[in-house]
Amino acid sequence: MMREINAELLLGRRVLAPDGRSVGRIEEIVAEPQGSVLAVREYHLGSYALMERLAATPFGRAMLDFFYGSGIGQGYRVPWDKLDLTDPEKPRLLCALADLETLKRA
Amino acid sequence: MDKLLEVSLGIVTSVGGYLEIGSIATSAQAGAAFGFQLLWALVLGTLCIIVLVEMSGRFAAVSHHTISDAMRERFGFNFFLLPLTVTVLLNLMVLSAEIGGVALAGEFATGIGHQWWAVPVGIVVWLLLWKGTFGLIEKGVALLGLVTLVFVVAAVKLGPDWKDLLRSAVPSLPQQDSARYWFLAASILGATISPYLFLFYSSGAIEDHWNESYLWANRAIAGIGMTFGGVISASTLVLAALVMPPSGIRDVNDYHQLPLLLTKVFGFWGLVLFIASLAIACLGAALEIALQQAYLVAQGFGWNWGKDLMPEAAPAFSLVYTLSVIIAVVPMVLGVDPLNLTVFSMALTAASLPLTILPFIFLMNDKRFVKQHTNGRLGNIAIMAIIALGFVLAIATIPLEILSGG
Amino acid sequence: MNLARDIIDKQVVDKNQAKMGKVDGVVLALHGGKPPVVSYIEIGGITLARRVGRRTERFIRLLKKRWGSPRAQQPYRVAWRQVRDIGVDIEIALDVRETPVNDWQNWLRDKVIRRIPGS
Repeated sequence: MMREINAELLLGRRVLAPDGRSVGRIEEIVAEPQGSVLAVREYHLGSYALMERLAATPFGRAMLDFFYGSGIGQGYRVPWDKLDLTDPEKPRLLCALADLETLKRA
Repeated sequence: MDKLLEVSLGIVTSVGGYLEIGSIATSAQAGAAFGFQLLWALVLGTLCIIVLVEMSGRFAAVSHHTISDAMRERFGFNFFLLPLTVTVLLNLMVLSAEIGGVALAGEFATGIGHQWWAVPVGIVVWLLLWKGTFGLIEKGVALLGLVTLVFVVAAVKLGPDWKDLLRSAVPSLPQQDSARYWFLAASILGATISPYLFLFYSSGAIEDHWNESYLWANRAIAGIGMTFGGVISASTLVLAALVMPPSGIRDVNDYHQLPLLLTKVFGFWGLVLFIASLAIACLGAALEIALQQAYLVAQGFGWNWGKDLMPEAAPAFSLVYTLSVIIAVVPMVLGVDPLNLTVFSMALTAASLPLTILPFIFLMNDKRFVKQHTNGRLGNIAIMAIIALGFVLAIATIPLEILSGG
Repeated sequence: MNLARDIIDKQVVDKNQAKMGKVDGVVLALHGGKPPVVSYIEIGGITLARRVGRRTERFIRLLKKRWGSPRAQQPYRVAWRQVRDIGVDIEIALDVRETPVNDWQNWLRDKVIRRIPGS
């Protein structure tokens, strides 16, 4: 059974972990070619992901760090199969928070 | 050689198109109330607009997108809605004031009230946009606008103390009436650092088919053009300082006082020149603002846009400037005082600067748009300083207006 | 490829470089057990309005019902395989005249602008 959702409506939505804690907001959706189609590989969550999106350069990132306070930004990678989109307005994490890879500072 | 011609034209356009009712009103008020003391605000504002205009031009020349385009493309539609709404509303107010300015010129010339001039002026503005090409408007504004140089001539004729002027180019604290002083400083900054100026400039760069080979031309036009323009504004302030207090005017709150700026020096011809300058300067500004409105909306939604396109080829774009002119005419017809509206909208412009300036720090460092022509360290420091100034103005301007009694 | 950074809100141009609006939305097809697939880009007021909020979406839908042609009632979709190039603009392999994106502007042109002298 095929469902359709709009990617732009996912952006900014808060994702909850199984224990109800907030993981962060979806700030980016990363897709890669798989054969002849473009498929979603992972979602980037958290304020650090937002920084990534807005700041294209180390300078911009440094500036955002200055405003957010270094280290406050957290970012997580969520593989496509670990995000439950049955309710697109309330995405849920399908694994434990501790299992997620964080977004590293480049 | 061609480039040299384009640069000259660009400079002339910046000079001729610089003065408008906002700068006339705020400079006149500042000069009358505080003498030369607020000159530093003009200097500061001019420096800021040079930086912003150069960056807008560079951005457009390299990326072939305008700043307005990029505000949505980079930050998303939801964020973009905020500067879009605020700028659209502000543009309408300033457009109304500029139409009021032309209408005032009509009133000074014929004695017929400015309310009656509002609709004819609106029609002229609309017709020029509907039928004129971008090149025609640009060159027309440029050449006719040079009449505003008469303000410089008048100021020089009055022989101000140059040492006094130089001293005032540096900030100083007011001896009395602090709230009014700082409010006028904020209004001058709002009149000088007008978003429509640099947004229009980046659209103009695309209309004129600029590319990476224009970067030096861009620097020349931004630097020289805006500096000359600033000199004309400064002359208005100097004239007000030398002409108003001796006539007993410390508070310019009645538009009938404005022609004094030139009549004191040139008598009857001063009135003629003032009427011509006011009419041309405000007409040019009205055309730019109406066009900028259309650019902003069209670019935000991705429609076809361009002044050189016939209205047939860009219907929505034409609709936006048409509606804007129609709406802007209304307050003037209803009898709103152009001078009051001007000062009010300059203050609001100052207060809303962060919204339009903040994106620059991201856009000018984004290699996907500007490729290798990102801001250097100096550029980034400059833009950060301007953003900081913008935040100060955002917080302080409205309270200052209230404290100083408007 | 990052959807938010590289695709959503970017300028769309047709095969002749004519402007076609901005990418207002991206449709993902979810097949259970498989990664979501990018199937369409959406251009249109309804998609854009939905991003602002439910009431805005309802308002735009009402406007389209009252004034729009039948094909304006749903957002316009371009299949992902029609996307030719992704750079500063998103270039698609269609001619804008084959698409409904300019329908309302064409209406404006025919019904209003052509009636005004000197256009």
